[in-house]
Amino acid sequence: MSAADNKKSHYINAKEISFKFDGKKYLGYKGDTIASALLRNNVRLVARSFKYHRPRGLYTCGIEEPNGIVQILNEHNEPNTRATVKQIYEGIRVNSQNRWPSLNLDVGSINNLLSPMFSAGFYYKTFMGPKGFWKKIYEPVIRRTAGLGKPPKEFRSKSVHQNHNVDIVIVGGGLSGLIAARKLIDTEYDVLLLEQDSFLGGILKNSNKIKKINNIDVNKWIKETEKLLKASKNIKIFKNSLVTSYNFTNHLIALEDKCAGKEINKDKSELTLHKIRTTHTILANGHIERFISFRNNDLPGVMLASSFEKYIHRYGVVPETSPVIFTNNSTTATLLKSLIDLGHKPAAYVDARDKDKIGKKLLDYLKKSNIPFYINSEVEGCDGSKKIKTISIRKNKNKIIKVKSSMLCVSGGINPDIHLFTQSKGLVKWDDKLVTFKPDVPFQNTITLGSVSGNYNYEKTIDEIDQKLSFLKAKNIRFNLELNDSNNFNIQELWETKHEKKSNWSKSFIDLHNDVTTKDLKQAVKEGFDRIEHLKRFTTNSMGTDQGKISSINSLGIVSKILKKKISEVGTTTYRPPYAPLSFSAIAGRNTYEFYDPQRKTPIHYWHIENKAVFEDVGQWKRPWYFKKFETESMHLAVQRESAQTRKTAGILDGSTLGKIEVKGKDALEFMNLMYTNAFTKMKPMTSRYALMLGEDGMIKDDGIVCKFNDKHFIATTTSGGAPKVLADMEEYLQTEWPHLQVFVNSITEQFSTFNISGPKSREIVSKVFTDVDFSNENFPFMTFKVFDYKDTEVRIMRASFTGELGYEIYITPNHALELWKKIFHYGKAYDLVPYGTETMHLLRAEKGYVVIGQETDGTVTPIDLNFNWMIGKKKKDFIGKRSLTRSDTSREDRKQLVGIIPLDKSEFIEEGQHVVECERLPKPIKTPVEYLGHVSSSYHSPNLNHCIAMAMLKGGNKLMGRKLFVSSTYGNKNIPVEVVSPVFIDPENKRLVS
Amino acid sequence: MTQLLSSKGVNISQRNFQQIIIRGDGKEQFNQLINSEISSLPPSNNLEVTINDKFIFAKNSFDQWSLIYLVEQNYKEILKFISNVNLKDEILASDYSYGQVYFEISGKNRNEFLNKLTHFDLRLKKFPAFSMAQTLIAKIDCSIYNLKDKYIVTCNRSFEDYFKERLQDTANI
Repeated sequence: MSAADNKKSHYINAKEISFKFDGKKYLGYKGDTIASALLRNNVRLVARSFKYHRPRGLYTCGIEEPNGIVQILNEHNEPNTRATVKQIYEGIRVNSQNRWPSLNLDVGSINNLLSPMFSAGFYYKTFMGPKGFWKKIYEPVIRRTAGLGKPPKEFRSKSVHQNHNVDIVIVGGGLSGLIAARKLIDTEYDVLLLEQDSFLGGILKNSNKIKKINNIDVNKWIKETEKLLKASKNIKIFKNSLVTSYNFTNHLIALEDKCAGKEINKDKSELTLHKIRTTHTILANGHIERFISFRNNDLPGVMLASSFEKYIHRYGVVPETSPVIFTNNSTTATLLKSLIDLGHKPAAYVDARDKDKIGKKLLDYLKKSNIPFYINSEVEGCDGSKKIKTISIRKNKNKIIKVKSSMLCVSGGINPDIHLFTQSKGLVKWDDKLVTFKPDVPFQNTITLGSVSGNYNYEKTIDEIDQKLSFLKAKNIRFNLELNDSNNFNIQELWETKHEKKSNWSKSFIDLHNDVTTKDLKQAVKEGFDRIEHLKRFTTNSMGTDQGKISSINSLGIVSKILKKKISEVGTTTYRPPYAPLSFSAIAGRNTYEFYDPQRKTPIHYWHIENKAVFEDVGQWKRPWYFKKFETESMHLAVQRESAQTRKTAGILDGSTLGKIEVKGKDALEFMNLMYTNAFTKMKPMTSRYALMLGEDGMIKDDGIVCKFNDKHFIATTTSGGAPKVLADMEEYLQTEWPHLQVFVNSITEQFSTFNISGPKSREIVSKVFTDVDFSNENFPFMTFKVFDYKDTEVRIMRASFTGELGYEIYITPNHALELWKKIFHYGKAYDLVPYGTETMHLLRAEKGYVVIGQETDGTVTPIDLNFNWMIGKKKKDFIGKRSLTRSDTSREDRKQLVGIIPLDKSEFIEEGQHVVECERLPKPIKTPVEYLGHVSSSYHSPNLNHCIAMAMLKGGNKLMGRKLFVSSTYGNKNIPVEVVSPVFIDPENKRLVS
Repeated sequence: MTQLLSSKGVNISQRNFQQIIIRGDGKEQFNQLINSEISSLPPSNNLEVTINDKFIFAKNSFDQWSLIYLVEQNYKEILKFISNVNLKDEILASDYSYGQVYFEISGKNRNEFLNKLTHFDLRLKKFPAFSMAQTLIAKIDCSIYNLKDKYIVTCNRSFEDYFKERLQDTANI
């Protein structure tokens, strides 16, 4: 027999669509999933299993599918897509996975022949030796063969994030969800209704279990409800939106497929990740049917009974007109009736229960319909190669009879879909009557309604909703249900049927996705893995992307039998988010590529681009690294040129990224004395000072220049990356440690662009730009500043330098920055003024022996280590970190201290980060530790000295002056001989600075 | 004013405002001083916004206020105001006029649009008209002022290009 259309379904009149599966063209209807369309075309073999490459067919009709996982070729080659969820559209190209060369003839199926060797824990036991095999043989081979689909190639997936803040989220637009939503129409609550399917209705559309609601046909009632919900002011509906995570506190993540049933538009987003904050969550996400383990329960043609029923009602396809139905509960009664109503006759109805549990009504119906039925019976197994041919039934627990059919519909009971409930940390309890776990105590504001709460009786759902929503100001509307079925669950526990030994290759699976058999479970327990969490990891049971949705309770049942314990004593494994796989692109949203990190630009940014700047990222800032004079100029040449020119005439740096903080108040002086190591009390107004900030541990945290207007008003600069932290620390200390101080601080980083002009000709240049200002040494000495009018704004100029040359820092509001920068260049042209970037800045400051926070320091360096004793206000009563500077560890003489080093052979270059040692050669291999004296923190080729200069942090460095040491190198094991020298390489007398 | 985008119920334009950040204790003397300078009392409730034809005055936190000029002022006057206010020890006024950028966001879908970029709860019952907040929008620190029928969003000028690109991208995608 074969598939047939459900002529009563509206699908049959839908638009026909062509699609390709493994290169072959098929026709389906608009709205079909890949699975329903394949079933419509009598395609039963859709996949190969993960480990044994056994032929597999579609097992379910939804997100719980363990077998039907495919690759969508025309969607960036998207792998591991569930065929039971993905809708087809015209031209979609789908391939099966994990097979070579074809699905029908898969070389990998040799694994099935070898399967008797692949017992539980095979990998752990097998790949232990010989030594060296793992890295060179096992791992490469396993990596090549592992996985199902092929990774996508070169794509820029587009997904967006949408935040929501609501009062109530309803997860699931089935019977319970829709009734709850209707009660909340036009109430004071903002409500989100999330439905994973492309239509509302859930069980109402999946079966014919419910005939009418309030005397209206269910399909009409769904339409009416959707219309009312859409018209309401307070309820939003998101279809194709699967809730994947339920986090603390009442934070849910849902993934919306915006291209369900249509081709992706490469310019638009494909997915929306909804991030939802809610006050209450109503879980109405229903249940999941589970299977029963028996011999060859993985053959194509075995399908869950409720899924078979869904295909009939949802998609209008009867996958097989004459299947065998095998059950241990009454939910299959409606499937039976659906088939008979459509004029089809099941080949057999096999029920594990006795006649009392089955009920007279169903037995009479079977008799009347002339269906062969077997009570107190079970399916022993099924046989066939790539699809079922015969089904063996153990009649009355004794005699085996064989029935011919190509499909077997199985129901082992239903489980409330408690994944989200347990993700929210709600507690579950075992229900002996329902033979499953169900929600018990919620941890968050969670309400469960309908079958997810363990209520399988539709008639009682109405009362349950009324009662559980009574604390809300919901509408008092009554609903009456008319059922097609007695709604009597009456399950009898059955996890696995007894099977006859047919061959070594007959298997009874517990986890179809990961190819785990019930034999594996038994073996694992025998080997001592009797804790369910251990057993899960040893066997990989329920660890696939389906998370064992149809089988995890079954494995608990089987293990409990082996251990002779109650299931409640065996416990459950942890359900972790996400509920179903979601792609990294969905999680990343738009925070990728150019938006991965925000970018900050100075007002001079586009001038830098025009002048061939190459940028580097400093924090979020884009800073010119160096400027190319011509296209092919290398960084080394550019930096050598910029450095030499700056020392020869003048250079200018865009230092706008420097942090700037304005400090003002009656107690500003005391505050600054506490925040920094320096003493500001005797500092004259309108002067500036290089200052250090420590942590409580005495380690250097930041540095900058402090400008003192007067005792009540300061402006401090910080490092570019440290500005927010320094400001936050200042605020924190003011609010928590020194609330008695009347001081206010404001960040003014963005309010001032900063230019650092340096070099022997800098005075001439600034004198031409600011003609009203006297820049003479007498009137404008080193480390002083002035504020004066410039156009309609004010300019602050400070005489300071980070290069060791005569220099000025110019601060101006951003609206005039570019104009002033250009003006400086206009007048600087006569002096060959050169723009320089951060690399030249580093070189110039290293020549002068100036440190960079984060380069010479790493959070373990004190001012004393850098020989900055002169910066510590020793007479000050207190400052942050003061006490820590006198600890025995921080005052040790053999701490790493800042020194300069130069290579003895001036043609050699020292690399940053290399180790400084006493030995000329490193032994190879290194068998005994080589004493490490320290590391090179900065190293440059000085164009002004014409050899390499470096700074290093060496143990007891101050006492090593003049010593010959060695620096390791990436080139061979021969170290570079160096001499330890003062870190100030240029102008130690500061003649240039104060000239 | 520069129109940046207008589509799907969202209109965004860039505005050229000037701004002063004022820190102080908010007590009588503080209020009097501010009132004497701009003939307006600073809002007293945290996150409250007052508005007139000339400026928005908002209380950002327990000791911080933002004064945003809606009509361009002579910059010298702004500097003069800052200078006058800073004569008092217990107040710090800092000029933010050209260090910030301003975006006016209006239209019926403005909340949904902004919630693509921020988790902030923009519902009227949580973010009432004439209140302000400081939050992350597109991963950067922003201030948002609810002026009933529109929002003013401000951020540091250095983020201007990035922020505009994010706004445009959100509208396009």
